[in-house]
Formats: sequence, C-alpha cells, structure tokens
Amino acid sequence: MRHNKNLMINKRRKVHGYSGIIGNNFFQAILIFIVMILFVFFLAALANVVWKGLASLSESIASQEIQFAVRLSILTSITSMLICLAFALPAAYALERFNIPGRKFINVILNIPLSLPPLVSGVALLLLFAATPFGSALAEHGLKFVFSVNGIILAQFFIITPYMIRVLKASFADIDPRLEFVARTLGCSQWQAFYKITLPIAKNGIIAGLVISWSRAIGEFGCALMVAGATRMVTETLPVALYLNMSIGNLEMAMASATCLIVISIISLFIFEMVGGSRSRASRIN
Amino acid sequence: MINLKNVSRQLGDFSIKNISLSVDDNEYFVILGPTGAGKTVVLEILSGMYKPDKGEVWINGRNVTFECPERRKIGFVYQDYMLFPNLDVRENIVFGLKLKKIHPKTIDQKLEKFTSMLNIEGLLNRHISTLSGGEQQRVALARALIAEPEVLLLDEPLSALDPRSKELFQQELKSIHKQVKTTTIHITHDFNEAFVLADRIGVMRCGELLEVGTPHEVFQKPNSHFVAEFVGMENIYDGEIVDDIKGSCVRVGKACIRAVTGLRGRVRVAIRPEDIIITRERFASSARNMLDARIVKVMPQGAFVKLILDAGITMAVLVTKQAVEEMDLGVGQSVLAVFKASAVHIF
Repeated sequence: MRHNKNLMINKRRKVHGYSGIIGNNFFQAILIFIVMILFVFFLAALANVVWKGLASLSESIASQEIQFAVRLSILTSITSMLICLAFALPAAYALERFNIPGRKFINVILNIPLSLPPLVSGVALLLLFAATPFGSALAEHGLKFVFSVNGIILAQFFIITPYMIRVLKASFADIDPRLEFVARTLGCSQWQAFYKITLPIAKNGIIAGLVISWSRAIGEFGCALMVAGATRMVTETLPVALYLNMSIGNLEMAMASATCLIVISIISLFIFEMVGGSRSRASRIN
Repeated sequence: MINLKNVSRQLGDFSIKNISLSVDDNEYFVILGPTGAGKTVVLEILSGMYKPDKGEVWINGRNVTFECPERRKIGFVYQDYMLFPNLDVRENIVFGLKLKKIHPKTIDQKLEKFTSMLNIEGLLNRHISTLSGGEQQRVALARALIAEPEVLLLDEPLSALDPRSKELFQQELKSIHKQVKTTTIHITHDFNEAFVLADRIGVMRCGELLEVGTPHEVFQKPNSHFVAEFVGMENIYDGEIVDDIKGSCVRVGKACIRAVTGLRGRVRVAIRPEDIIITRERFASSARNMLDARIVKVMPQGAFVKLILDAGITMAVLVTKQAVEEMDLGVGQSVLAVFKASAVHIF
C-alpha cells in the first residue's frame, strides 16, 4: 500500500515538477532583476553626483557663497522646525483627542499642502502676504515675508507643518487615552496628564517628526522660491545656490551645493533610522 | 457612601438606562453581568470619564455629576492595568503622591505599607514591561490604594489572570479590603468571584440593573429567570402551583415538586444542581422531594461530575467524582433525586 502511494506522489511530481521548478526560478529571477535595475540606476545617479561633487567640494566649500548658503539653510530649517513644533504639537493633540466640530474638514485642509505642488503652495502664500490687506498690514508693522529670509521660514513652515501634524497625530493615536484618564484619577489636570504621561511616551514619535520636518525643510525649494525669491547672498539657501549656479553654468558650485544636501539627507536618514530603531522596549527576554 | 440616581448614558454600542444604586461606606459591592451589560459604563460615569445623559452621581454627600476625575478622589484599576510605560514600578506607584507634593519620608512610609500589603517589595526598580500579568495587577492596585481614595473602582481586575492566580488574588483582595476598608465597586462577569468577594451584588443586563442583594439573596433566591440562569441555577422549569392532600406543590410536567412559597398560579421553578442528592434506595429524611430518575448523561468537570437525569423533567445534578466511583453511577441506571423543599426556588 505504502509503496503504491509513494509511486503516486512521484508520478505527480514528475508531471508538474519540471515546469513547476523552472517556473518558480524564472519568476524569482525576473523580480530580482528588476530590483537590480532600480538599485543600479539610483546608485549610479547618487554616486556620480557625490563623486563629481566631492572633487570640486574642497575648493567650493571655502567660497563665501556656499558658506552663506549652508548657514542660511541650517538657520532657516531649524527655526521653521521649532516654530512648526510649537504649533503642530498642541494642534495634533487637540485634533486627535478632542471632539472638535468639523474635525474631519479641518484635517482635510491641514493635509492639502501634502499633495499640493510646492510651487502652488508658494503662489498661495505670495498672494496672501503680498496682495491682501492682511499682508500689507503685517508689512507695515515690520513683518516682511515676501522676498526676505522670513519668507523662507514661512514657506518651510507651510510645507512641513502638515507632515509634523500627521506624524504627531499617529503618535498620540498610539497612546491609550485611558492612561491619561488613570493619571487624572490620581490627581492630574488635563495639562499635567499630557505633560507627564503622554509627551514622554510620544517622545520617539516627536523626534521622528522633527527629523522628517527638518530634512524636508532643508530641501525646500519651490515654495521658498515663490515667496522669498532667489537672491544671491540674501535668500540663498543650498537648493537656491544649486539652482542659481546651474542656471549660469557654474557646474562646480552647483555640484558642491548638491553634495552638501546629499550629505545632510544621509545624516538625517541615519538619525531617523536610529531613533526609529530604538522602538524596542525592555522585555522579559533581554 | 455612593449614590447613583436614575443615571442614563449612551456610549456608542453600550448604554445604561435609569440606574439607581446605593453603596454604603466600606462596602464591597460587586456589579455582576455578562459582557455588554454596561457595567464598565457605570464605573466610567462614577469616575468622571463621562458625564451621564441623565441622572446624578453623589459621593459622600457631594454632587459630583459634573466634576472632573481629578477632584473625585477615586482609585481606578483597569482590566489591562494601564501602568505608565515611561515610569518604573516605584514611580508608577507613587505617582499620585508626588503630585500632591507629599513629603518624601511620608511617601517612603506609605510605599512600604502598600508594597508589603501586596507582596511587591522586590519589584520596585523593575520596568513595567518585564512584569507578569499578576505582578502588573498588584502594582496597579498599589498605585490606586496608596493615594487613599474615597472609592476604589475595579474593572474586571481578575479577568486576565489564570485560574490559580485568580483564586489567590481573590483571597488577597478580600484581606486587603479588610485592612484598608475603602468603599469598593468591583465589576465582573464571573459569579463565583462575586460570591466570594461581595458584601452585596448588583446584577446588570442590557444596561439595566435587574437585582440588588446579598450574595445569598441573589444566588439562592434570584428574582428573575435571567438572574437565575446567570448565577448558575441550571434546573429552571415552568410549572403551576396545585394543591393536593399533602399541601401545595408545583406541577412540572408529570412531577410534583414540594416547595415553600406564597405564590400561586403559573410560576417558574429553579433548583441548584449542587442541592440535589443521588441515592439508589428510598430513605426517610426531612427532604420532601424524592423523584425517580434515570441517568442520561455523565459529564466529568474536574473534581466534580455533572449528571443529567431524566425524571420526567431533565435535571442537572452536581456530585463529586468519588461519589460517582463509590456508587458506580453510569448511564442508564435508575436512581432517586432527593432535595429539600427549601432548595426549590419559586419565582
């Protein structure tokens, strides 16, 4: 009986086996080939620009222009990131926890910049601050956004705040509101519960949000271009430096700016992975 | 002294209707009911998580219906503990005390008192994710008790424990209550738990409070079919009170069951499975009910065996394993089911 059964199984293998095995291998090979094409393409593009950029970096890095661009990029991105945090943190908490009427609609509006082309966001801001009584009133009181460094910060803020709110909302959604409730039964006010319990637990999410926002802000070009313009040595961030130099044919300076930006991106990705990786909590196994 | 007056609230799928309840000082009150009965909603309204749609909540003479949780002096222990993951065990427990800016020496004294009461002295520096379920439960309880609340609310505190831990913790809860004497409301779906722990029980179903009474009253004399079934009375029949030569009895099918009751007409009859004795021969006793029956099914249940009998009516009887072995009871045998008139509950 058993002998017959084995024969039957082998027969089945023989009938489907040959094409089956080859079929699986071919399928796998095609997919891996596609991965390889993508990998080589991306690697080549990045490596090429870094290679060429590094070559001219040593001279260009000493130039006043590049130094100014680096300083301005870092200054504006950190400023916009901090202002963004100051607004996004309470907003995300309120949107996630409170029952605000029209909550869904508010969320939609705050999410729109995520899918809007940055150039369009820039035009919107430009019109708001240059062509309305609101904008002129602000300008009269000394708060000039159009064609100034403030405009860069404003543009970055407008672009990165929806990201930050999204990330923070997800972090708060992950925290059980009953934890805050138990804290309140022990005597916390709503604010104390938020500050002593929710915030510490959301720490990793907040850091992730900051890294995402900061690296997005540093790379911001289209929106800032519209609002602040691309004036050499005034509103010249690294992306603007790249653009300006490329458009006058100064390849070395353009590459230097690109390399700076690539290095900054890699560093922020690294930080992000590190923070994201530290999600492993202490367990009974460790 | 806790008082709920006609409290109603709708919360998504769950709702409670017109709940009126009083709990005395130092009482251990258990709210018993199946899942979805609305028991947790009652606790959440008591603790201030939600406001009632209608009705009032009074604690120790204060109308707290609209007061926020931080002013109600309530301790809350959730089924899944809700320990703060960003703090270690010690910080979790003294969280409430630190808020009130109590002197560190006093904090240490109280910490010692409650950690020894709950046997968790060795856990103080541990991170909460390294604790077992039972340990987390104790920490959660210590955290609530150390703040010396006026009311302690326990939301199915034993449901997540294994049977052995459950038994141990039940006894501990009882002895802790004797020590701290805090007015406690404990909700559960386990009637054995309620029986062991409660001074009084309130049975809830579908958002309504069906019955309130001592464990004895609820278990031996439930006032509704649902309560009877829920608390484990299995032999429930429809019958009619008739009079015969010997007095009144309840006719259930062909059987005539002697009972003590003032009711008349169509009634419901309930007899607990553990109140019935099995015997092979008739004997004289004070028990007024002795029914001929045949064993139809034998169902082992751990240390007990449930026998299903056909006595004209289907009867479930609970006997010990030893009894079954010594008497050699098996399917198809003819026996007699014996029970007292006082074990027959009519409602």
